[in-house]
Amino acid sequence: MAIDVEAYYRDLGPMVLRRCRRLLRDEEKAVDAMHDTFVNLLRADDRLVDRAPASLLLQIATRVCLNRLRTERRRPEDPDEEALLAIAAADEPEARSISRFVLQDLLGREPESTRTMAVLHFLDGLTLEEVGREVGLTAEAVRKRLRKLRARVAERERADVLPELTP
Amino acid sequence: MTPRTPDWLVERLRAGDLPSGEAERVRARLEAEGGLGRLEALRAEDAAFAAAHPPGPALGEIRRRAGLLGPQRPSARRRVILPALAAAAAAAVAVVLLPRQPGLDARLKGMAPHLEVHRQRPGGEPEALPAGAPVRAGDLLQLSYVAAGASYGVVVSVDGRGAVTLHLPEGGGRAAELRRGGAVALAHAYQLDDAPGFERFFLVTGRAPFDASTVVRAARRIAALGAAETAPLDLPPGLAQQAVLLRKKG
Repeated sequence: MAIDVEAYYRDLGPMVLRRCRRLLRDEEKAVDAMHDTFVNLLRADDRLVDRAPASLLLQIATRVCLNRLRTERRRPEDPDEEALLAIAAADEPEARSISRFVLQDLLGREPESTRTMAVLHFLDGLTLEEVGREVGLTAEAVRKRLRKLRARVAERERADVLPELTP
Repeated sequence: MTPRTPDWLVERLRAGDLPSGEAERVRARLEAEGGLGRLEALRAEDAAFAAAHPPGPALGEIRRRAGLLGPQRPSARRRVILPALAAAAAAAVAVVLLPRQPGLDARLKGMAPHLEVHRQRPGGEPEALPAGAPVRAGDLLQLSYVAAGASYGVVVSVDGRGAVTLHLPEGGGRAAELRRGGAVALAHAYQLDDAPGFERFFLVTGRAPFDASTVVRAARRIAALGAAETAPLDLPPGLAQQAVLLRKKG
């Protein structure tokens, strides 16, 4: 499927930039991450399945930002940012067996990153069912994955960095 | 108390890509919490976006990063034309590793086509780098291939930033006709830049002609998937591949 990146940029660029701003809290870094989000879209253009473009770009942007946060040494300014940085630094519970990149999910071959799901649930406030709809898993499957990730974060950080899972 | 509707869902509603039932549910939730003004705020922000981030320069930058302005040619910074090094490395490879002799291809029967990588050491002989060897930004590498019976070949590399570089044939187009007789050094040495993590080189070979762009696209795909460090290239039948991974340090 050929991606009309210009149309995507005009229509959804503002949304991608807002997403990157929210996660990175830095205008310059957010613009850079927005560009990288579209780069990822372009590079896989002939392998993308037809799916909701806003969801697709939001997920790619989330992954791009998480990867950047993972390499930064930033002091969190509030509990939300503390949770986000903990998620970014967390190892994927299934790192050896599952996708390490959102596009593999988009190709229909691998489940979405647990870290991205954690951001959707713990930071964005989506319910487990809503997260499941975004990534093509059941709410129960999302719950299991997030429990594992939360336990790993609790082992390394503080037990309460990530709140309890809510339905 | 129900938390306010997540931005994620409002964005998707604004973009019009929620399934109809879910769109109605999210709109009703927004309305119930008095949040329809959030959609208006997004519209206003969207309208201001083009002026602050005009598509022309942004798309140029995006395409540049994606390497879609044609196969990425080795830049002056990354590839350096050093005939002397190429000749020296070729000679070292030929002498030290695979002496060119009549009948050598017969002895290579059973050997798979593969790449050899050497690092130039200041004032010294090129150093053979095994797979997994540590390298640094600024290292000067000489690539050589051993055709081992294959007729056509393409050499590409992918770095830790996902940049794909075509090394052979340098101008793109049809795969290079491979020379036989042992290790054959590529025309130019290659200087590593500061991309983090790794540099992975692929030699793709076939008995029939094929297009270098097939290999470049396959390399870009694994780069886009974040799998360039480990995944094989997804290639058409009839093509063989061999990869050498070098790990970037410092």
